[in-house]
Amino acid sequence: MDLIIFTLAVLDGLAYASQVFMVAVGMTLIFGVMRILNIAHGGFYAIGAYLSAGIGLAIASAGLSPWLHLPALVIGAAMAGGVLGLVIERFVLRYIYVKEEVLQLLVTFAIFMILEDVQRLVFGVQPYAASSLVDAMGTINVLGIPYNAYQVLLLPGVAVLTLVGLRWFLHHTLLGHLITATAEDREAATAMGVNANRVFLLTFTIGTVLAALGGAFAAPTTAVQLGMGADMIVLSFAVVVTAGLGQVEGAAVTAVLIGLGRSFAIYLMPELDVLMPYFIMMLVLLVRPNGLFGTVQTRKI
Amino acid sequence: MSQALIEARDLHIEFGGVKAADGVDLSVHESDHLAIIGPNGAGKTTFLNICTGYLRPKSGTVRFDGTEITGRSPRWITRRGIARAFQIPQLFLEHTVIENMLIGAAARDRVRSLWRPLSASTARDEMMELLELMGVADVAAQVVTALPEGQRKLIDIALALALKPRVLLMDEPTSGVSSQEKFQVMDTLLRVLAHQQVTAVFVEHDMEMVERYAERVAVWDAGRIRIEGTPAEVLADAGVQRDVIGL
Repeated sequence: MDLIIFTLAVLDGLAYASQVFMVAVGMTLIFGVMRILNIAHGGFYAIGAYLSAGIGLAIASAGLSPWLHLPALVIGAAMAGGVLGLVIERFVLRYIYVKEEVLQLLVTFAIFMILEDVQRLVFGVQPYAASSLVDAMGTINVLGIPYNAYQVLLLPGVAVLTLVGLRWFLHHTLLGHLITATAEDREAATAMGVNANRVFLLTFTIGTVLAALGGAFAAPTTAVQLGMGADMIVLSFAVVVTAGLGQVEGAAVTAVLIGLGRSFAIYLMPELDVLMPYFIMMLVLLVRPNGLFGTVQTRKI
Repeated sequence: MSQALIEARDLHIEFGGVKAADGVDLSVHESDHLAIIGPNGAGKTTFLNICTGYLRPKSGTVRFDGTEITGRSPRWITRRGIARAFQIPQLFLEHTVIENMLIGAAARDRVRSLWRPLSASTARDEMMELLELMGVADVAAQVVTALPEGQRKLIDIALALALKPRVLLMDEPTSGVSSQEKFQVMDTLLRVLAHQQVTAVFVEHDMEMVERYAERVAVWDAGRIRIEGTPAEVLADAGVQRDVIGL
C-alpha cells in the first residue's frame, strides 16, 4: 500500500468516524441514562440531514453566501432535534420506561418508521445534494494530497468539540452530575428529590439534538435520501455495542476504529466495505462480550 | 406523649397472598427513636416503603405532620421532610463523597442554575460540616467505591440528612458493618440526629442495638404490630423472645 492510499484511507476514515460518532454518542448517552435502545435515533439523523440540505439549497438559490449554511444548519438541526426529542420523550417514551425491552424496541422502531414517512411526505423521494459549503471551504494539502477542508478539518473538529463538551458537561456541571447520578441509581436519585423525569427528558433531547446535528453536518458531503437513517442506525449500533453500551469516550474510540476499518476496506478490499464494521464488532464481542470499554455492570456515561 | 409526626392507620398490603401489612396502626412521635423488629419477611421494610412512597398500600392511610401522604411520589414525600437510608447504601459510587452530598443539596434546594460547575455550589461548607459531624470529612474527596462499608453507611446517612429531613427512616443502619464498627456508627448517628433534631425510625435485627439505642420498639409480625413499648418491656416478652429473638 503506498503512502497516498494510506493517507486517503486515514482521512476518509476519520471523516466518516466523525459523522458516525455524532450519532452513536447520542445513542449511547440515551442508553446509559434511560436504559432504552433508541432505534428512532436514525430518524433524527435523517431529519437533520434533510433540513441541512434544504437550508443549503435555499441559501444557494437565494444567492446568499454558502458560509451562511454553517450557522443555519446548526440552528436548524438543533431546533428540529430538540423539539422532536422533547415531544417524543414526553408523550411516548415516558410511558414505556418500565415496560419490557422488546416493547421499547418496537415503540422506538415505530417512531423511526413514522419519521421516515414524515421525510417522504415533507421532502419527497428524490435525493438532495447541497455541497456549496464544502466547495466554499476549499481543499487543503495533507502530505501533498488535496483533501476537502470540510471533511478533514470541520467534521473531526465538530466531533472532538462534541466529545470534549459532553465530557465537560457530564463531569463538571450540576446538570451533568444529576444525569450521571440518575444513570447510576435512579431510585437513589429520586429518593433525594431529583426529578428523574426531567433528567430523562433532557438526556433524550440532548441525544436527539446530537443525532440531528450529525445528519446536518453529514449532509453537505453526501446525497441526502430515504434510507440513510436506517443505514446510520445500524452502524451507530455497531459502534455503541463494540464500545460497550453507555460508554461516551468508548464510542469515540470505537467510531475511529470502525471508521478506519471501513475506509481501509474500501481501498484494499472493496467487496468487504459493508461487512467491515460488523466484522470488527463481531471480533470484539467474541473476545470482550461487554464491549471494548464495558464491564459486566457497565459504568453508564 | 408528643404529637404523632407519622401516623399510619389500618394499613393493608400483600404480595402474592402474603400479608405484609394486615391492619397496621403505628405512630412515630417527634424526637422518637423507634426500632421496628420482627422475623424476616414480616413486612418491616414494607412500612418504610409505604412511608416513603415506594409502595402504595391496598388500603389505609399514612399522615405526616397532619398531611396525608399515602401513595404520593418518593420525591414529593422527600421534599416534605421524610428521608430514607437504605439497607445497602444507595450512593453514587463513581462520584466523590462531596459530589454525592452536593448533588443531594442541589436536589433539596431545587437549584436552577444547572449549567454551573458543581464545584461552585454554595452548599459546600454546609455539606462539609455535615460530613465533619458524621466523622467522615477526611474522605470527602474520595470516590465512594474506594471506601469501606462502615464509612459508606455514615455517608449514606449524611446524604439523607443533607435533605434536612424531620424524620429519617433507616433499614438496618449497621448491617454489613463489622461488630467493632457498629457501635461507633450508631453512636455517631444518634449524636448527629440529636444535633439536627431529627426523629429516627430504624428496622433492626440486632437486639443488642435495639436495647442500646431504641427508646421505643414495635414488633412487626405476620403483617401486624404484635407488641409496642420500651425496649425493656418488649424484649422481656416471652412471645417476642421465642418468635423474634429465638431464645
